[in-house]
Amino acid sequence: MSWEPEVTEIKRRKKAALAMGGEKNVKRQHDAGRLTIRERVDRLLDKDTFHEVGGLAGSATYNPDGSTASFAATNVIYGRGKIDGRPVVLAGDDFTMRGGSAEAGNIDKLRHTEMFAKEYRLPLIRVVEGSGGGGSVRTFEEIGRTYMPGGNQSGSYSYLMADAMATVPVVALGLGPIAGLGAARMVASHYSVMVRDQSSMFIAGPPLVARAGGGKLTKEELGGAKIHVNAGAIDDAVDTEDEAFERARRFLSYLPSSVYDLPTRIAPADDTERRDESLLSIVPRERRKVYAMRKIIESVVDKGSFFEMGKQFGRSIITGFARVDGWPVALMAGDPMHYGGSWTAAAAQKIIRFVDLAGTFHLPMVNLYDCPGFKIGLDAEMAGTVRHATRAVFAICQYQGPWCSVIIRNCFGLAGGAHQPQGRLNFRYAWPSARWGSLPLEGGVEAAYKSEIEAAADPKAKLVEIEARLEALQSPLRTAETYDVEDIIDPRDTRPLLAEFVNLTAPLRPVGPASWGLRP
Amino acid sequence: MAKVKVATEAAGNVWKIVVAVGGRVDADEPVMILESMKMEVPVNAPKAGTVLEILAPEGTAVGEDEVVAIIEAD
Repeated sequence: MSWEPEVTEIKRRKKAALAMGGEKNVKRQHDAGRLTIRERVDRLLDKDTFHEVGGLAGSATYNPDGSTASFAATNVIYGRGKIDGRPVVLAGDDFTMRGGSAEAGNIDKLRHTEMFAKEYRLPLIRVVEGSGGGGSVRTFEEIGRTYMPGGNQSGSYSYLMADAMATVPVVALGLGPIAGLGAARMVASHYSVMVRDQSSMFIAGPPLVARAGGGKLTKEELGGAKIHVNAGAIDDAVDTEDEAFERARRFLSYLPSSVYDLPTRIAPADDTERRDESLLSIVPRERRKVYAMRKIIESVVDKGSFFEMGKQFGRSIITGFARVDGWPVALMAGDPMHYGGSWTAAAAQKIIRFVDLAGTFHLPMVNLYDCPGFKIGLDAEMAGTVRHATRAVFAICQYQGPWCSVIIRNCFGLAGGAHQPQGRLNFRYAWPSARWGSLPLEGGVEAAYKSEIEAAADPKAKLVEIEARLEALQSPLRTAETYDVEDIIDPRDTRPLLAEFVNLTAPLRPVGPASWGLRP
Repeated sequence: MAKVKVATEAAGNVWKIVVAVGGRVDADEPVMILESMKMEVPVNAPKAGTVLEILAPEGTAVGEDEVVAIIEAD
């Protein structure tokens, strides 16, 4: 007698799992314009690479003779697959099974997704929809008691997420309504994406908010993609699920599979000696006029390789991955269009998260610097800017990989000092448009020459005269004379110099888990 | 002919209206210039057309992503 009956039953149950929450619920998912988790897995991963784990977990009912009457799988889909030929771990919520809620879930399965990714050093992708495995009040009645959040000290899910994040790249895609633990699973990632007009995310949904006196809001009003990308809770918003999958693949393409590995170079497809003529005049001589930093970025990195992240948050800083001579780099730049490039509290938080991301996965940093300082004013003081910005200074100082700064224009004050990690030798260049000091000329003259200006017959003319005198001193060449800056370069040489930097420092990229000290 | 919104990318004060109501503007050319941290930040038209309405006159403080003008696209 063989084990054929059992094998048949295994196959039957696995087939039942593929039907998810049944025709009616699948149709409802499709009618809402959303894909099912099985369709998502197929579109996200390389073709036919998904190997499911725990597909037999679920709940069954039995006939009196012991045969199976029905089987419903859990709504946590877990398995391994490949993206661009590299193995990854995938954790997906099946919204067609009881709206992705915990009653149809399995917390051990969810925990294993994080543990497997960490222990086997594979990137983790969470496809989140619903409460993401979080509990609901109905659970209390089902189990006849309440329970301690995080479990009985045996390794809470939050701990496992923190452990995974410190070891492997974690991407979170939010593709429907998401609440509670699901929201935490979204932000506990290195890169997160929502779909506009389809995804929404909240700590608690509209009914709870209304009950707590927070007003009557729709899901979109309470936690639509725009709210979260502006607040920095989520990195990016896209229009379709396919775009979200593409972002996930692209993000991972710059990173190693874990902190124990290095980012991989691809065959260089762009000339490292390319010198764009436009760079010579892109920064206006008139100091009040702004320029498009993204054009400079596009011009100095490998063509089409810049992958910006978090564009809508902390907008005076631009952050993203790119490639130079095929090597992946982390790229950070000031954007003078926003508060002149000054560091707001939000921009500082963005810097901290980005520098930590680059440091964790051993990407060399290219910093195209233009910042007149921390943002000033009452709003800035009330936002705690000085603390957030000083934390950003610390994060930069604690970065341990190769670093190259190119000072494009403004470099002032404490923020100016943090254009690179201090206390070691970094690569550093300045453009002829660079200006530096303890504070910008525009702000400092009135204060420093107050009595001289007030005593003058024509104070306005005196101010102009002093400004002209000081302006003449501001040429970066004067600073280079004393070797306060190593080199002032022809802006067109930026790309060849960055190519030298990445090639020279590639062997020096440190491997292993990151750690850093206390921050204020 | 479609009405197109012109929105700010950054917060600031409206320093100068470059193209008044009735005037023509090219795509990616400024309708107005904001002043923010002593910098002149242009607010560009997403499409070429004629300015129908200026919603933020000179001296007004505007926020990020705020619609400050409407143009009738060509």
